[in-house]
Amino acid sequence: MSTLDVGTYSPREKGVAGLLGALAALLLLAVITGVLAPAYLLYLVGLSAMYMLLSMGLNVQWGYGGMINFSVAAFFGLGAYGTALLTASGSPISGGVSPVIALFGGLGLAAVLAVIIGYPTLKLRDDYLAIASLGLAEVVRIFILNESQWTAGSAGLTGIPLFFSDWPVLGDLTYPYIFYVGGTPLFNMSQSVVTSALNVVLVTVIVAAVYLFLRRIHQSPWGRVLRTIRTDEDLAETLGKDTFAFKMQAFVIGSLIMALAGVFYSHLVLFVSPSDLQPITTFYVWVAVILGGTGSDRGAMLGGFTIVAIQQGTRFMTDTGALPIGAAPLRLMLVGLLIIFIVRLRPEGILPPERELIWPDSLGGGRDE
Amino acid sequence: MSEQSLVSDGPILGKDDPVLRAEGLEKRFGGLVATDDASIEVERGTITGLIGPNGAGKSTLFNLVSGFYEPDAGSVAVNGVDVTGQKPHEIADQGMIRTFQTPRKPEGMTVREALLVGPHNQTGESIIPLFTSPSTVEQEERRSLEQAQTMLERFEIGDLATQPATDLSGGQMKLVELARGMMAEPDLLLLDEPVAGVNPVLADKLAGFIEELNEEGITFLIIEHDMNFIMRLADPIVVLNQGSVLVEGPPEAVRSDERVIDAYLGGPSE
Repeated sequence: MSTLDVGTYSPREKGVAGLLGALAALLLLAVITGVLAPAYLLYLVGLSAMYMLLSMGLNVQWGYGGMINFSVAAFFGLGAYGTALLTASGSPISGGVSPVIALFGGLGLAAVLAVIIGYPTLKLRDDYLAIASLGLAEVVRIFILNESQWTAGSAGLTGIPLFFSDWPVLGDLTYPYIFYVGGTPLFNMSQSVVTSALNVVLVTVIVAAVYLFLRRIHQSPWGRVLRTIRTDEDLAETLGKDTFAFKMQAFVIGSLIMALAGVFYSHLVLFVSPSDLQPITTFYVWVAVILGGTGSDRGAMLGGFTIVAIQQGTRFMTDTGALPIGAAPLRLMLVGLLIIFIVRLRPEGILPPERELIWPDSLGGGRDE
Repeated sequence: MSEQSLVSDGPILGKDDPVLRAEGLEKRFGGLVATDDASIEVERGTITGLIGPNGAGKSTLFNLVSGFYEPDAGSVAVNGVDVTGQKPHEIADQGMIRTFQTPRKPEGMTVREALLVGPHNQTGESIIPLFTSPSTVEQEERRSLEQAQTMLERFEIGDLATQPATDLSGGQMKLVELARGMMAEPDLLLLDEPVAGVNPVLADKLAGFIEELNEEGITFLIIEHDMNFIMRLADPIVVLNQGSVLVEGPPEAVRSDERVIDAYLGGPSE
């Protein structure tokens, strides 16, 4: 089996893949006919990928191990602020650090916070993490809002460079960038298209790497212990598993993935402010994970994508004047309806986990369902 | 020798080779004394029965020795290692595995998947080896899978391997619990009411399996209310009453002991 093999597909997965394919074709058509600007489409792809990362991160915590984390926005925000504070020209602390290095700043902040909040709460029952993380998200946001000597406060951080800004070739492109094929200029691309395309490449690599990493750790004895902890922590303990250590590992990994989404977000929109840490982000991500199918990485990705489709789709519809009401109320209504539909019709989500958590190679050839 | 002398007053201590030794365990919940100076020794190779009227403190004793409760006083040693106050998983690592009174249902798992959680210290339970030495993980998984299948077949539920672990009858669940416990390769298995809610035919089978495993060297400590089951299977029998050990002795002797009868019938204890 190659590492890129994504396993066999269930009919449900095929159906979802078909739907997504159709949607992609529709979007492509919209770009060709000029309804949708190419740069905007690429931006949307980047944004969906970011939400996919957030949902995958939460899925590691909630879907694998049953940990209720209401601090998604805080870990996302720490990733975003971590890299922004180090790279942005408007940063009150340092600025000017290469984004590749600053990436680790963002991840480091999130990891430290994850350990600080996880250490006291993960030894206790599930509810305590939920309560503590609910407060934590606001503490982080209000800290960033008020400690303006370090964070620039409500003004936010401007002048964040592109992720590729100091890379050898990619940082030195001139615009409009003309793409030659065999000596003939084929595409004449504006700066926004090129940077958006590069961002999409970057985030695709990140999402693919995270997905492959998660798939490996999930379908393994490690993932199996977490699944046991999720259903019955005492049972895992009686079988000699150090449940605290397992939960801590999953919690930190999930938080790092969320921070990764934040780092990418900083270099995508080039501006961060405390309003990016609003609790609503956390709840969108929760909806995404539950909608997609708790415990399934693919489900989490699908859920993240759906959330962006609703967010941006409503904006698009109101922009074209097709609807008499504003985007914001419509969006919330749609999310609300969606939650009701899931709970009523498919409480296990669209793509619930269907596979046994057994190291795939050890099952020999055929995988039985 | 009169029959009375076969039954010791209180626990028999100072056995040659105890797998589990608990001394003077005390646990209070507020004003309620659940166990009071409870001592027990489980000799290697035995099937030791633990009986007693409701509220005698049997489950509390299990929770104390397995690390789920921290004793207010007393000590616990497994295989000669003091484990007082340790976490349940640390105690399990010493070779003592317990089951619960109500079977735990691992939701979203198949039977064999649930069994694969059993083996201790699997390489694949750490994240780094999943990437650095996947072949070791694969080999271990193959071995565990085979072991799981053998175990299920031994308990005559081999056909259930890929069934959801939640879709089983009460008796099958008890068998799966026993099989999962065995996957951890314990020295001592603590079974909390293994035949509660199990039909008599399956209970008989279960007794047979336990005897077989015992002959292969597994020591058992079993709480059970079903007197026929426990009297047939276990020797010695330890009787717990009001939080401490009342008597210990062979089943026939315990069965006819006046103090035991009094305790069960609620007669004057002192």
